[in-house]
Amino acid sequence: MLVIKNLKASINNREILKGLNLKINPGEVHAIMGPNGSGKSTLANILSGKTGYEITGDLKYKGQDLKEIPVEMRAQKGIFLAFQYPIEIPGVNTNNFLKTSLNTIRKSRGEKEIDTLEFLKLVKEKAKELGIDEKILSRQLNVGFSGGEKKKNEILQMKILDPYLIILDETDSGLDIDALKTIADGVNSSRSKDKSFLVITHYQRLLDYIKPDFVHVLSSGKIIKSGSSELALELEKKGYKKIN
Amino acid sequence: MENFKINIKEIDKINSINKDDKNYRIKNLEFFNKKGFPTKKEEDWKFSDLREIFSKNFKKIDINYINPEENKFRLIKDFDHNYILLINGRLIRSDFKYEDKNKIKISNYKEDNFLKEKSNNPIICLNHALSNEGYNLVIEKNYKFEKVLVIYNLFSEELSDKILNNKNRIVVSENSELHTIEYTINRSKNKFFNNSYENVILSENAKFKNICIQAARSDGYFHKFLNGSIKSNASYSSFIFSSGLKFNKQDIKIDLEGKNSECDIKSALFLNNDDHQEVKTLVNHLVPNCKSFQKIKSVLDSNAKGVYQGKIFVKDIAQKTNAYQLSKALLISGNSEFDSKPELEIYADDVKCSHGSTSGNVDENSIHYLMTRGLTKKEAMQLLINGFLKEIVNDIKSETIKKFVESKLEFQIYGY
Repeated sequence: MLVIKNLKASINNREILKGLNLKINPGEVHAIMGPNGSGKSTLANILSGKTGYEITGDLKYKGQDLKEIPVEMRAQKGIFLAFQYPIEIPGVNTNNFLKTSLNTIRKSRGEKEIDTLEFLKLVKEKAKELGIDEKILSRQLNVGFSGGEKKKNEILQMKILDPYLIILDETDSGLDIDALKTIADGVNSSRSKDKSFLVITHYQRLLDYIKPDFVHVLSSGKIIKSGSSELALELEKKGYKKIN
Repeated sequence: MENFKINIKEIDKINSINKDDKNYRIKNLEFFNKKGFPTKKEEDWKFSDLREIFSKNFKKIDINYINPEENKFRLIKDFDHNYILLINGRLIRSDFKYEDKNKIKISNYKEDNFLKEKSNNPIICLNHALSNEGYNLVIEKNYKFEKVLVIYNLFSEELSDKILNNKNRIVVSENSELHTIEYTINRSKNKFFNNSYENVILSENAKFKNICIQAARSDGYFHKFLNGSIKSNASYSSFIFSSGLKFNKQDIKIDLEGKNSECDIKSALFLNNDDHQEVKTLVNHLVPNCKSFQKIKSVLDSNAKGVYQGKIFVKDIAQKTNAYQLSKALLISGNSEFDSKPELEIYADDVKCSHGSTSGNVDENSIHYLMTRGLTKKEAMQLLINGFLKEIVNDIKSETIKKFVESKLEFQIYGY
């Protein structure tokens, strides 16, 4: 699904990723943990196609060179980033935005556009699963949403757009236990043979709910240790410093 | 500038005017001939140098009215409405089929309907000197319109290098209510200049709401001066959506003359290509306890230029005034320009007045966020532009009219 080899990335002449290697196969859930400033969000940004970075190294998604694929095409090809800080967009109705987004992606896959009735049915069903109050979906995108509502809205988008590679960038930050469980359930019910997850987090807590197949420790722009989900527990006990 | 002087004899061509009128017209024309089109040296024209714009685009002034062949013309089907049809400013016909006709008076332009005001604005003087077309609409007391009145303002194909001067007057009498949509349809592919003057008089407890919008992009040059007089407990509301005009200046002066009167001016503009649009307002709070509210939102692309000059004047006796104005501009292209000049002139001490003005670029993080959901950059931009302007559209109360305006605005945004 995703193969990263010797990825180096810098912004404003500051090197943030310093030779990162990672391979994710279809159906796998990988967790990346690391202290502040280790490059976790940079990795998420680069996978989503955010501009402004100087990048070298190999970045392949389903065998294609990801560096050559523009942002919107990545989304159309099935890469999804759940933002750490979802952006508030005044004036844009959440439902309309979701429908536009879904139809753009369906069109790119050669599928028929979904009509309003069908769409509303789909949204209603998915929103219910995530315990999202339908009212917020007729409001402006993320505007005035609580922290939990914003994160749930990201997962709702993931469910509706049905991507293959899902990157969750600190989706657990700012959530209470109940919201965390709901979101984890949302993710777990989406797990399948043809979907892969990259879960980026500070804390082991999220991984109690979303069981990863692999855990990687990112420090100073490199993966310094990889292991099974046991590694997350070890990290929780010892802290990042001792892992070196 | 010799080409832009107008022979006094032109006034003789105007039908049936008495001596007084003639003298008034001559004085105004002499003033215009002396001053010429206003330039940026004049404070009110600081950001819209009309002389430069005019001399660049017009070779001469032709003021003769063109008799259009009756155009094939389609009514708006989206909602039931009464209508007035103007062609090149002339009142052609009206239809008030949803209303009590005894309560409505509509007639052609007449001299004696207008006060002989003195103006220092050459373009208004030009109108005073030469205007000979337009309508006079009077709504009698205690009458509330059942349906909206659409004023079809149609400009015919034959127009070129013309200046059309027309005058309109709308009177809403005590306890009456009128909603209008001024709908401009431009068939001319050539340049012309429409210079109009509108007098709006709202008596006690009257309500008047107006929406200005265009059928499609247009290459016309427009100047409109609106002179409003609002009596006690009356309210005036105006939405300006017109955009995509080569030049358009809406110069709005509202006198809040009666206690508890209100004025509300909102505008959502999408400007593209070489469009140049100015909204200039002067709201005079002349008595206590009045409210005024202004919100102007502009999106500028390509080489477009937008201007907002908004002034709130509060007279010494106008205590408990509540006045607010806000201008927000979104600049999409580095070549676009937005000029804003908010002004407060306050002589009373117990008032609430505020103003704000911002202009900025489209937020790159918002664009990126939308693109990570599969939208192209263009689609993301369009969604953001639409969202930015929608705040104004959302203030329209009638759902059917809101939808109609929304579709026009979306066509402007998505059609480029």
